[in-house]
Amino acid sequence: MSAQIEVDKLVKEYRVHERTAGAWASVRSLFRRRYETKRAVDELSFGIAAGERVGFLGPNGAGKTTTLKVLAGLLHPTSGTVRVDGFDPRRRDFDFLRSITLVMGQKQQLLWDLPPVDTFAMNRAIYDIPKAAFDETMNELVTLLELGSLIQRPTRQLSLGERMKCELVAALLHRPRVLFLDEPTIGLDVSMQATLRRFVRDYNERFGATVLLTSHYMDDVAALCPRVIVIDKGHLTYDGPLGELVRKVRPQKRIIVRCTDGTQETLDVPAAELQPTIARLITRGVADLTVEDPPLEDVMRDLFDGDRGSKGAA
Amino acid sequence: MRYARIFGVQLRASVQVTMQYRAEFFVGLFMAAFYVFWNVVPMFVLWSQRSEIAGWSLEEAALVTAWFTFLRAVLDGAVQPSLQAVIEHIRKGTLDFVLLKPADAQFLVSTAKFEVFNFVDAALAVGLAAWGLHRLHRVPTVGQVGIALVLTVAAAALLYALAILVISAAFYVVRLDNLIYLFNSVFDAARWPASVFRGVWRILFTFVVPLALMTTYPALALLGRLDGATAVRALCGAVLFVLAARLVWRRSIGHYRSASS
Amino acid sequence: MSATTPATSASATPASATPASATRRLLRAYPTLLRVGLSSAVAYRAEFLVWMLATTMPLVMLAVMSAMAREAPVGHFDQKGFVAYYLVTLIVRQMTGAWVAWEMVQEIKEGTLGLRLLRPIHPLASYSAESLAALPMRAIIALPITIVVLVLSSGKDLTQDPLNVLIFVVALAGAWLLNFAVSAIIGTLGLYLESSLQVWELWMGCFMLLSGYLIPLSLFPSWLERVARLLPFAYLQAFPVETLTGLRDRHAALAGLGAQLAWAAAAWLVLAILWKRGVKRFAAYGG
Repeated sequence: MSAQIEVDKLVKEYRVHERTAGAWASVRSLFRRRYETKRAVDELSFGIAAGERVGFLGPNGAGKTTTLKVLAGLLHPTSGTVRVDGFDPRRRDFDFLRSITLVMGQKQQLLWDLPPVDTFAMNRAIYDIPKAAFDETMNELVTLLELGSLIQRPTRQLSLGERMKCELVAALLHRPRVLFLDEPTIGLDVSMQATLRRFVRDYNERFGATVLLTSHYMDDVAALCPRVIVIDKGHLTYDGPLGELVRKVRPQKRIIVRCTDGTQETLDVPAAELQPTIARLITRGVADLTVEDPPLEDVMRDLFDGDRGSKGAA
Repeated sequence: MRYARIFGVQLRASVQVTMQYRAEFFVGLFMAAFYVFWNVVPMFVLWSQRSEIAGWSLEEAALVTAWFTFLRAVLDGAVQPSLQAVIEHIRKGTLDFVLLKPADAQFLVSTAKFEVFNFVDAALAVGLAAWGLHRLHRVPTVGQVGIALVLTVAAAALLYALAILVISAAFYVVRLDNLIYLFNSVFDAARWPASVFRGVWRILFTFVVPLALMTTYPALALLGRLDGATAVRALCGAVLFVLAARLVWRRSIGHYRSASS
Repeated sequence: MSATTPATSASATPASATPASATRRLLRAYPTLLRVGLSSAVAYRAEFLVWMLATTMPLVMLAVMSAMAREAPVGHFDQKGFVAYYLVTLIVRQMTGAWVAWEMVQEIKEGTLGLRLLRPIHPLASYSAESLAALPMRAIIALPITIVVLVLSSGKDLTQDPLNVLIFVVALAGAWLLNFAVSAIIGTLGLYLESSLQVWELWMGCFMLLSGYLIPLSLFPSWLERVARLLPFAYLQAFPVETLTGLRDRHAALAGLGAQLAWAAAAWLVLAILWKRGVKRFAAYGG
């Protein structure tokens, strides 16, 4: 089975120049700079089938956004091959660009001084969308996102959440087959985050568009992506279902109990000890008992800090 | 075709932004008039001292100033705003959106914004040229007007090419607001007839930043003093510049793609 | 964030809030601000170079005026006179220019002015430190030019009066103060207007024309020269340049200095008032 997105041994390096503090060092850097090569992505390989929803997880600076940008053709790989929908992203074929879209959290393509409708019109011209299809898609998206007449107001007058919704419309007008979402929920309030996740999932189920999401919010990934790729320091450290990752990293269950004597406790116990612990608690007298997986944020912290502490938790 | 439509949409968007604030509208109008005044006063001051400078009379110099005003309007109206737009994009990290669109990035970037009031300046420039010709009691032939027009188009293309070169630099250098200022400063030398400059200056302004071509040659054409060979050479120079700019642009985008993260 | 601190009880003023201690803190912090500003100025080496090159207008004008002076002196300027005049103009521009309006408008638009307001240093102090910190770099360029002027004109086209030289140096400081204040005023207008940068362009346009930057004022038609000399622009360029190039005697120079410093004081007063009111507005309508 050939995947829609194929990445083989992707490497991406870039140069930064070193800067030490101090006035003298500044003056020296006027004349001569020392450059250092950093590897943002180190021999990454994976494949994604059409219609999948995949989350890229990793701490800041892990290489998730870089990978996404390489897939979109914005960055050229240092080595390795990348194929999206049969295209080489570097070549910027018209059909390729028409089949993808990029949404970046806190950055927008919407024109600032004008209402979003004008940006929509711009995109229509650029993507060469026939009027009928354009009207249909726009109305559909505006309805789905419950925007109404907001699209007629200048972008700068909209709230962050409203802007994000309009941004989504602008990004989806040309019915792309692949959605690249780079930290889309960053800075949004909780209810807007939920709205966005719901929308993306609906869109994927309805139109079969492939979704690649990068985030360092576990909730995004948990709500949206059955499959997770973990990238740490440019390396792929995990590729598979999210539940398994959780079990692997934190093979524990969390018990939140309120006893009849008024005490309240939160316990993390290994799966094996779950039964005896519950039994013990019940003898104490339980008013309220909840058993759940550990908070995903803790899992993430373990996953990344654990690597630094001991040798490899994954 | 598609690019014509994109151009239309971008232009319309710029006009809409301009119409947005009433106060700004009138300020813009005022500034447009101010700039024409500003272009013309130094010329009058200098020529009040001498009736002829470097072989140019006031009325003849007015032709050069008219072309200067016109090209300034092109610069401030179309070239500069796009430059600013790119720099904003790079600063905000939204250039990626431009690069991701299925249209030539150079085209999108060049048509991003227009400062519409410069049409006023352009119109006043034509008026100034008419005044100069009237005072000289000179009516140029159709051929001469034709050459002047072609040279004007070449000059605009040249300005555009220079702007693309500057924009390309924006990929390598982070803070570029000043490059725009530099551009403006250097261009200011174009208000004077080229024969005023000697030696190093002449070489600089004829070949490196061909200002002479932009303002003096069209004036010479209208005065019937431009020979065909020079005009052709100037045209070829402009074409070469445009091609070179395109090459540099592509290289810069390539660098952006390879060198960033 | 609010720009005014909540009123404490009338009698108790903590020692850290007195104007004296605030000034002391400012004086202590200023050198660091300058140093950081210098690093920042140096960090963007290409930009710095560009700034240097951007002041080409006096050189272009020199070329034009030299062409005119080739046959006969223009006014009382011969070619050497023009060389001295324009090179000194260049030095003065480099050493006294201030462009803080740009930065301020940018920060107001993006709301980052709020960050500045939160610091225990008055924003105008930090702006001025950044502006001043750029000067050493400009001096590096101005210095060779000064030497060139001295050599080329063999001192003939420069003032022979040592008092004038002293006045010139003070005038440089005065010009910087005036330039900075005006630029900051226009930046502050960004708290009131949407298009204060247009005002800056207007100012710069008038400056270049009427200050003697492009063309020496003595070459203007007399009515225009009289008008120009009444305006503040002349004190930014014409006055210092004429003082150093011997076009003003010491009496005229002293009078000019007085006028310049008066303009500077007025500008700072206007700045203080506009700033205070503007910041209140900024806080009221939100960053």
